[in-house]
Order: sequence, then structure tokens, then C-alpha cells
Amino acid sequence: MTDRPLILCADDDEDILALVALRLERAGYEVVRAIDGDAALAAARTRRPVLAVLDVMMPRRTGYEVLAELRADPELRELKVILLSARVQESDHDRGIAAGADAYLAKPFKAPDLVAKVHELLGRTI
Amino acid sequence: MSSLTPPERAAPALLDRLRSLPATWACVALGTAAIGIYYLLPSHAQSVLYVLIGLASVGAISVGTIRNLPIADRPAWRLFAAGLLMEVVGDAIYGVYELELNREPPLPSIADVFYLGGYPLLALGIILILRRLGGQTSRAAILDSIVIFCAVLLVQWVFFIEPYRHTTFASESQRITAMAYPLADVLLLVGLAQLVLGPGGRTAAYRLLLASIGLWVVADEIYGLNVNGYQAGSWLDALWLASYVLWAAAALHSSVGRLALPERRQLPRLTAARLTLLAAALLLGPSISLFERLHRGRTHVYVIAPVSAAIGMLVLLRLAGLVRSVERARRSERLARREAEQAQQLLAHQNDQLVELDTLKDEFVSSVSHELRTPLTSISGYVELLIEDEQNEEKRGYLTIVDRNAQRLLGLVSDLLFTARLQDGRLELERSDVDFAEVVRHAVESARPRAETLSIELVLESDDEAVVSGEPARLGQLLDNLVSNAIKFTPQGGRVLVRLTRVAGLARVEVSDTGIGIPGEEREKLFERFFRSQAALERQIQGTGLGLYISKAIVDAHGGRIGVTSREGHGTTFVVELPANA
Repeated sequence: MTDRPLILCADDDEDILALVALRLERAGYEVVRAIDGDAALAAARTRRPVLAVLDVMMPRRTGYEVLAELRADPELRELKVILLSARVQESDHDRGIAAGADAYLAKPFKAPDLVAKVHELLGRTI
Repeated sequence: MSSLTPPERAAPALLDRLRSLPATWACVALGTAAIGIYYLLPSHAQSVLYVLIGLASVGAISVGTIRNLPIADRPAWRLFAAGLLMEVVGDAIYGVYELELNREPPLPSIADVFYLGGYPLLALGIILILRRLGGQTSRAAILDSIVIFCAVLLVQWVFFIEPYRHTTFASESQRITAMAYPLADVLLLVGLAQLVLGPGGRTAAYRLLLASIGLWVVADEIYGLNVNGYQAGSWLDALWLASYVLWAAAALHSSVGRLALPERRQLPRLTAARLTLLAAALLLGPSISLFERLHRGRTHVYVIAPVSAAIGMLVLLRLAGLVRSVERARRSERLARREAEQAQQLLAHQNDQLVELDTLKDEFVSSVSHELRTPLTSISGYVELLIEDEQNEEKRGYLTIVDRNAQRLLGLVSDLLFTARLQDGRLELERSDVDFAEVVRHAVESARPRAETLSIELVLESDDEAVVSGEPARLGQLLDNLVSNAIKFTPQGGRVLVRLTRVAGLARVEVSDTGIGIPGEEREKLFERFFRSQAALERQIQGTGLGLYISKAIVDAHGGRIGVTSREGHGTTFVVELPANA
């Protein structure tokens, strides 16, 4: 264990998962990876990350469903969540925020935007 | 008459009324006075005045005909004038006998020829008017006419004609002449009934005409009931004279022209009046029989029975026709209702399909967009990483090209998604107060690196502040489109000027370039979906033909206007005007 903050990254596209993880690791975070919704929820419960970056369209459990489970769990309720999705209509964005996400980022994302958002939610300055 | 335009008919109505009022009024007033004087005069002077009133009436009808009627409507009134003139001539001959020979004319005399000859002319005049009124040729109207004819004939026969068979006359020709008068009245009576039931407009002239014919017939009938009791100068003369006067008054009234207009043209429906008429016709035979039985002790059973039977049959036919037409109407109504129901079902079905298709299309567009964006995320994400890590300048250049094209592809996907949604007519704005000057500034600064790469001078002139109610992202998209377009179509070393001004409650942005310009015929199509200019195609300037289409949609949604001016070879200016708050 290091003292670096732990972030949960979940995406069913392994290339994007690796990219997000790499970007966050370069920004000084430790990353736990999940390849679907179920794995994401399990990792959130066992590893207790401080923030989760969730893809929306994942098999087994979608990002929305994982988010709902997290928000219903008293111990995980305060976990910061960023939804990351290729669904980019305003309605998708609104739905994500309404479901309790702290931020909604569109794919493709710019690395600096993602890192800035993570910093912001964790109260860190760059 | 249908060629008359409404203004011609309606506008001068008041004027007409004012102009014709004196003539009609004067006619009635003078006529009434003359009738009053008539009863104050000695009998020989009475005869003269009687003829004079008749002549005046004929003259007035002729004047009214020419003054108030179009040529097509004149024959009827000329026939009335001619018919009444025959009566006047008859009166004159009668008068000559009385004045010069001091006795009534013999029966038959030349006076009777004129008297009787007038009736067919008057009846013909009525027929012409009925023809002008129209609506008299349907089967129902003809049946009604025959019923009226039978009923009138029955009454005339039983009460006025047949009694002459039992009267003593010096000769058979006297008897026939006496019988001819009530027979002639049949013509006027039938005509009068048709006019009462007719579809003509109930104008003042129409009512005057009905009154004059009515008075004439009533006078004739009363005379016929007691031929021997009549004396020249009796009160009965007042009815004939009044008839002359009213006939003239009708012709002088301006509405005589509209009298023959089919204002209420419609098929003779079974109105209350017509039903009453048919009922009266049915009851006529039995009533006459009863009356005769009570008052005369004998009945004309051989006449009444067959005529009543005929009337009964005609009424039956009339009602059968009515029932048939009701059935026909009901059948066609059922058919129409069934068709309407089918059409409604079809429509509902199609509507469901449309809704379903709409949903499918939405899902498809959304899913295609998602599927395209996912690999693009990896491409641009890893290229971004490579660019960061690459030390070799040349390779960094290549990677930048890959990145730029990935961004272009992404822009295309966004535009297509946006266009697909515009096609549904959905561009809902999330409005807020937007610092429009800041939006313009941001768009210009974003485009500056690209302009510098192409050695294009990009200038922003923005002195004014402008707050616009709109959606920041969309307004940004609009300005990005216009500025990047201007850069795209401007050759190296050119100049792109973006100017923001405030003009009378509007925020006005002009984006001018020193580019190739747009030919006039292309300017109209510029904002159409997928339109690409010939120059853009020839010079292989990249684009999808969606940028200006989307720009216009955004401007429209904000309640603004977008326009373009251009000189080929010199440059183009796009102008956007949006309602500004402050």
C-alpha cells in the first residue's frame, strides 16, 4: 500500500480502461481496474477507493446501476463518482447528474480535463 | 347573377334604398290618394280615373323595369306591363260602353278578349320570375306544383266554374266566357302559390308583388262569387286599383333586381309551409264535400273523388320521394362514417408506426454515435499520449496530423448526430444570459493557432458588450462554425475579420474573409443540408455541408437571422443578428 489516493476505474473497453488508468496513475493516483459493473461494485466494497470513474454502457451492471448501488450503500454513499460516456446528448448528461454523479465527462475526453476534474473533486490543487 | 361580386351588391345597398324610397313611396301615396278620389267622383269620371290609374301603373312598371333591372330580368316585367295594359284596354272599352252608350258591354264583348288575354301574359311573367329564381325543376318541386294546380282547379271548379253550368245564359258563348274568368284565375293562383313557396329572396319588391297578385286574385274571386251583385264603383274596385298601384310600386323598388336573385336557392325541402300545403291539399276534397253537403245539399262527388284521389297519390309520391332521399342520405352517411372510421384506424396505425420509427431512429443515431466515439476515444487518447512522449519533432508532426483527423472525425460524428436531431425539429435550448462578446472572443482565440499556421490574419473588433439569452454551447458552436469556415475558404496571407456591434436591440456579428467568394446562385442553397459549393468541391476543401445548416438552425432557435453577402474573388461576409438583452 502506498499513500497515494485510490481511484476505481471501470470500463468494458480494455483500451480505454488502460488509457484512463494510465492518465490517473501519471497524475499521482493509485488505480484499481474493473472490466464490468459487477466487478466495479465488488472493488468499491473491498478496496474502498476515494473516487470512481465509471463508464456508462457496461455489461452486467451499467454505470447508472453501479451508481445507484453506491448511493444506496451507507458506507459508500460519499464516494465521488465521475461518469464517463460516449453518450453525449444533453439528456444523457442531465440523467447522469440526476442519478447522483458528481461529474459527467464525454468520450473522447482530453486528459487534462479528466485530471482537472478528479483533482477538483478530491480538493487537490494541481 | 352569380357573376355579381359582393361589393357590387352590398355597397350601394343603402344608396339604392335612399334613391328608390321616394319613387316607391310616391307611387303608393299617389295611388292611395287616387283611389280615395275615385270614390268621391261621379260615375263617368270614375271610369276615366280607373283607366288613368291603370295606365299610370303600366307606365310606372315600364320605367321601373328599365331603371332597376338588368336586361336578363326585364322580360318578366315587360310581360306584367303588357298583361296589365290588356286589362286597362279592357277597362277603357268597358268605360266607353258606360259613358257613351250608357250601358254595360254585352257578354262576350271585345273587352272580354282583352281582359282574358291579360291573364296568360301575367302568368307567363310569373313563370319567368320563377325560372330566374331557380330550384323549380326538381321532382319534388314539380310534384308540389301539380298538387297546387289540382287543389286550385278543384276549388275553382266547384265554387266558381261549375255553378255557371246551372245558371241561365242567353247563349252558350256567354256561359263559356263567364266560365273562362275563374279558369284564368287558376293561372294566377297557381303562380301566386309558387311565388309564396318559391326560393326567392324575400325583398320588399317581392312582398309588394305577392300583395298585388294576391289582391287581384281576391278581387276576382269575390267578384266571381256574386257576378250579378257587382256594380261599377263598388268597394271591390279598390282591390283591383290597389293591385295596379302595388304592382307599380314593386317595379319601382330597387330590390326588384334582387327579387330574382336565388338568395335562398335550395331544393324544396319539406318545410313547415310545404307540409301545411300538402296537408291542406289532402283535406281539401273531404272539406269541400262536407261543406257542400251541409250548405247545398248536394256534392260534386264525380269531380271531388278523382281529384282528391289524384292529390292523395301525388302527396304519397312526394312522401315516398322524401323517404327515399332520407334513406339515401342515411346510406351515404353510414358509408362515410365507415370510411372515416377506417381512415382513422389507418391514421392511428400509421401514427404508432411513426412514433416507433422515431424512437428507433433516435436509438440508432444515438447508438451509432456511441459506437463511433468509443474507438475514437482510444485513438485520440493514445495519440495524445504519444505526442506528449515523442521527442522526435518530425514524428510529433505526423502524430499531430493523426490527432487532427481524429478530431475532424469526431466533429463529423457530432454534426451528424446534431443534424439527425434537427430533422426531428428538436432544438431545445437551455437558455441563460450569455456574455456574447465573450463567446465571440473565445471562438476567435480558439481559431487563432490554425489561422497562424495558414498565415491568415485573424482580427477581432469588439467594442460593445452584448448579453444574449441563449445556450452558451450552441452559440459557441455557431461562432466556431463561422470562423473556421472563413479560415477554410481564405487563401494564405488573407484576412479574416470578426466584428461584434450592437444595433438597435440586436447583437450583430460579422465574419468577413478575403476568400474565393460565393456565386449568387449558390448563396440561396448555402444553408441547405449537405450543400457544398462548387469551389469547395473543386479545391478539395474538406467539409460535410452541415456547418452552415447547423448554424442557421442555431440562429433560428435563438430567434435571430443569418445572412450572407459575397463578391466572387473578393470575399464573403456572414452576418448574424440575435436579439440582445443589454
